[in-house]
Amino acid sequence: MEQELTSLRAEALSAISAASTVDAVEELRVKYLGRKGALTLILRSLGTLQPDQRAAMGKLSNEFKVEVEAALEAKKGELAMSGVKNLANTQWIDVTLDTPAATDRERLGRLHPISQIQYEIEDIFTSMGFEIHNGPEVETDYYNFEALNIPKHHPARDMQDTFWTEDGNLLRTHTSAIQIRAMEKVKPPFRVVGPGRVFRYESTDASHENTFYQVEGMMVDRDITVAHLIYVMKQLLKEIFHREVTIRLRPGYFPFVEPGFEMDIHCLICNGKGCSVCKQSGWVELLPCGLVHPMVLSMGGIDPSMWSGFAFGLGLNRLIMMKYGINDIRHFLSGDIRFLQQF
Amino acid sequence: MWLSLNILSQMVDTTGIDPEELALRLTMSTAEIDSIERVNEHFATIFAAQILDVKQHPNADKLTLVDCDLGTRKIRVVCGAPNHRTGDIVPLATVGTRFSDDIIIKKTKIRGEESEGMLCSERELGLSEDHSGIMVLPAGTKIGASLSEIYPHRADVRFEIDNKSITHRPDLWSHVGFARELGALYGRPFKSIVNYDLMKTFRDKEKLSVRIENPDAAPRYSGLVVTGIRIEESPDWLKAMVESIGMRPINNIVDITNYVMAEIGEPMHAFDRKKLSGQEIIVRMAGNREPLTTLDGSVFELNPEDIVIADARGPVALAGVMGGGNSEIEDGTSEIVLEAASFNPVNIRKTANRYAHRTEAAIRFEKSLSPELTIPALLRCFDLIKQVLPGAEAASTIIDAYPVKQKTIVIKTTTDFIRTRLGENIDDARITSILTSLDFKLTPDGDALSIEVPSYRATKDISIPEDIVEEVGRIYGYDTITPKAPSVPCAPPGKNLFRLFERRVKTILSGNHNMIEVSGYSFIGEDTLTKLKVSEDHELRLRNPLSSEQDRLRRSLVPSIMNSVRYNSRFHDDFAIFELGRVYLKKDRSSTELATERTMVTGAVYRKKTGDPLFYSAKQIASGLMHKLQVADWDLVPESSELPPFAHPGRAMKLIVDTQAAGLVFELHPETIVAFDITGSAALFDIDVDLLYATRRRDTVFTELQKYPDVPFEVSVLADRQVYAKEICGIIRKSGSDLVQSVSVVSMYEGSPIPEGKKSVSVKVVFASRDRTLTTAEVEKLQKQTVGALAAKGFPLR
Repeated sequence: MEQELTSLRAEALSAISAASTVDAVEELRVKYLGRKGALTLILRSLGTLQPDQRAAMGKLSNEFKVEVEAALEAKKGELAMSGVKNLANTQWIDVTLDTPAATDRERLGRLHPISQIQYEIEDIFTSMGFEIHNGPEVETDYYNFEALNIPKHHPARDMQDTFWTEDGNLLRTHTSAIQIRAMEKVKPPFRVVGPGRVFRYESTDASHENTFYQVEGMMVDRDITVAHLIYVMKQLLKEIFHREVTIRLRPGYFPFVEPGFEMDIHCLICNGKGCSVCKQSGWVELLPCGLVHPMVLSMGGIDPSMWSGFAFGLGLNRLIMMKYGINDIRHFLSGDIRFLQQF
Repeated sequence: MWLSLNILSQMVDTTGIDPEELALRLTMSTAEIDSIERVNEHFATIFAAQILDVKQHPNADKLTLVDCDLGTRKIRVVCGAPNHRTGDIVPLATVGTRFSDDIIIKKTKIRGEESEGMLCSERELGLSEDHSGIMVLPAGTKIGASLSEIYPHRADVRFEIDNKSITHRPDLWSHVGFARELGALYGRPFKSIVNYDLMKTFRDKEKLSVRIENPDAAPRYSGLVVTGIRIEESPDWLKAMVESIGMRPINNIVDITNYVMAEIGEPMHAFDRKKLSGQEIIVRMAGNREPLTTLDGSVFELNPEDIVIADARGPVALAGVMGGGNSEIEDGTSEIVLEAASFNPVNIRKTANRYAHRTEAAIRFEKSLSPELTIPALLRCFDLIKQVLPGAEAASTIIDAYPVKQKTIVIKTTTDFIRTRLGENIDDARITSILTSLDFKLTPDGDALSIEVPSYRATKDISIPEDIVEEVGRIYGYDTITPKAPSVPCAPPGKNLFRLFERRVKTILSGNHNMIEVSGYSFIGEDTLTKLKVSEDHELRLRNPLSSEQDRLRRSLVPSIMNSVRYNSRFHDDFAIFELGRVYLKKDRSSTELATERTMVTGAVYRKKTGDPLFYSAKQIASGLMHKLQVADWDLVPESSELPPFAHPGRAMKLIVDTQAAGLVFELHPETIVAFDITGSAALFDIDVDLLYATRRRDTVFTELQKYPDVPFEVSVLADRQVYAKEICGIIRKSGSDLVQSVSVVSMYEGSPIPEGKKSVSVKVVFASRDRTLTTAEVEKLQKQTVGALAAKGFPLR
């Protein structure tokens, strides 16, 4: 057995010295010292020896074990150090490559650009004290038109070509429909916004879509004035565009406000100098608004002799198109990843 | 609508006002001007020139060299026309004249001879179709005068009004209306174009009367019989004006009635007197299915809501919309009846829409025109007829039925109210001067003001104090109002929790699961539904769809997502998309109740290459979503019987939330893949967001980290091929009480040496205790229990 141990020792030490990788060293550890390793087998057979021999062999085996372990550690250390010294060469990879997943931009998740702007705007409004309200997309004539001071057969209905459903209801043509629903829920004073999808019965082309997005806003308090409206809109637009914007207010007709306005902003593409986006006028029509018509307040259960308010609507598609220079409104609902992955 | 500066200038002095500035002022205070167009601007550089000499061109047989006198200078041009002679006065377009963007007169050499301009034919000048030769101006035309001086009515500036912005202003559907606005804006007087003195010349020869049967439908009808008519082409100035306002010249009488409508805003009509039967014009409702042929040849069967103008025999015009063919003026017409009337706007609007005849007349009547317009319109019309046909005579006095007079509107308000609404400190004097300039009559009434609204704005436009606020504000200039911060309660606004929840769902899918959010139409059509085999006609229909592919409202997002998958698979090999949106559900499609709207989130994972079943990817996302949303009570259970036809029957699970079915996760049925012509495969999830929102959420509670050692144990059992691994894991979980810390499937194997119809399932079990180290004996016992429990349920060790 002694001889066996001696030759095993020589074999192990020579193998360790020849090992060229850390993995090889580990394999040798298992081979000699592991649970089924050569030394372990010898140790297990000690029990069969005479007691005097057992002690001597035990000592020898332990020396062997210590010596081999030391050699293993030394070799491992040596290999590890030599590897680190030369890592740049031995373990060089082409870092300009990508995993297949990362090369596909479409593999990165994204929110739809409308969602992105919608949430940004909702956050701005929330920070300005506005509550967010919802309304149904299939609406009644009452909420979409009549309660907004647009009776049946009123010429103003031409301004909003309407999809009618077979049950006599309609697809809301504007988020203004949320105004009355909100007034039925909250008592003045209040500030509310109603974002959502709206529909127009209109053939589509690069600048017309039958489905698009708006955010309606409304503020009602004692003695709300046109001056307040202008102030709040300016703050809002500054937040949206991350800079001061030049605006102008001119008359605009919407039956649910009186007086009613169109708010134009200085074209952001040309800074008001005139370009193709603003049709050389320097101005872009952005935001219809006005003081809430007393009839509309009454319809919402609010006494117009006590309260006044302003309301406005913001078209999100147009805003995004202007922000990113998108030239075709139909991209939004195309579901085309090549479009969506750009935002 | 087009506005002509020439016409406006007859009513208000516009000298010294630049057209751009004028358009801006109107845009900022009155109505949006869409564009400005200069008509025949190039007439300014085309001059009357006298031909001094005509010589043969040395290098061309058909060309001549023409020396012309422009008064201040002499010019030589090369000309190819056959007719010009020495001494003729002809129009000469000088260098720089711009006929169009492409045709600009330049100094040039033609076959070696210099030419400094062009002699023009009538067609080249747009004056007629004559192109036989150079136009010869009348002898005596001032040499050197520009064409804009010679034909002042031909050179004009026209403004295009955005019709939407005057929907509420019947008065602005006319030049008079805009001229009044300009008067107020520039502080210049408005000059009436109506000559009331003409009435003195009217002779009461014709016995024609008018009877209005329904004053609510027709509050006023006025007429005038004019004799001595000759139907002929309009004089050039009238044709030019009619063209300027965007109409086509027809004949003198039609042009005059159209022109007066553009001037005054009152639609006019002329009947051939001799074609009217009897001595009475009757304004009445149409009989049911009463026939009428209008002058454009359309044949109508009328409706009792239509108003007609009738004679003794029957209808001669569809009131407010179009005249009848039976009473139309024609070449031989010598006597006419001019009509100016007032009709109920709702009737006219319905009639125009019913017969798709939204004529210029109907568009104006539906805006609520004042009945006070009829007399001025008739007078103006007669005045112009007289100018064009000096022999014409009014053979009747004005025939006028006006059973219900227009109500005068007086609004009581205060200057304080106006200031309070505008939020600007405008002084009383400015307020009263603005209102006076707009023709309002003001009477002080204590602290208040009584404001009488001019008739032409008192039909619908102005009725409440807020309308007065607008009048003051717009003339004062909204842009001059100083912005002011409102003082408001300082409290955080209420949160819209549902909307925040939607946002959370979208953020998890796009952020944690790398899905791309798409947005699809709310509409769907039979084609897509048929491909999915779900065309069961439950969808709420549109009455006026744009196309058959968008003729109903979606009940599910799956069809839209499928169209998106198909589309994007053309460009990408591998993607994941989702939509969060509403579906519209209605049991009884005929009830008038609103459809129930539910918010769904539907996603698809697509891969072109075949490989591991995509089902697992969709399932991973769905369960990941449940985990992140901290849904307290949810489970995914295999489903094969109650599946929609587009779901793979062997690869589908139902999402249960609070014992309710909340959605499905499934791979597409191979037939659906074929139906949509997709290469590759896709797995979807379709989940009810409303249900997820309403359900209880798991609270986050900290769990002490495991302190005592884990003891892993791997076991492989033999099972029937279609046994769910979940079942095997469940048996193990139950077998070892709370000492089983986790159970997970490590691998599955089918094939040799496993018998046909069987599979080997390897499961890793981890035993551990929360409060002590497990002893060897305990571990062995647990292992035995595990194996025993599996065997007892028919899953022997392998």
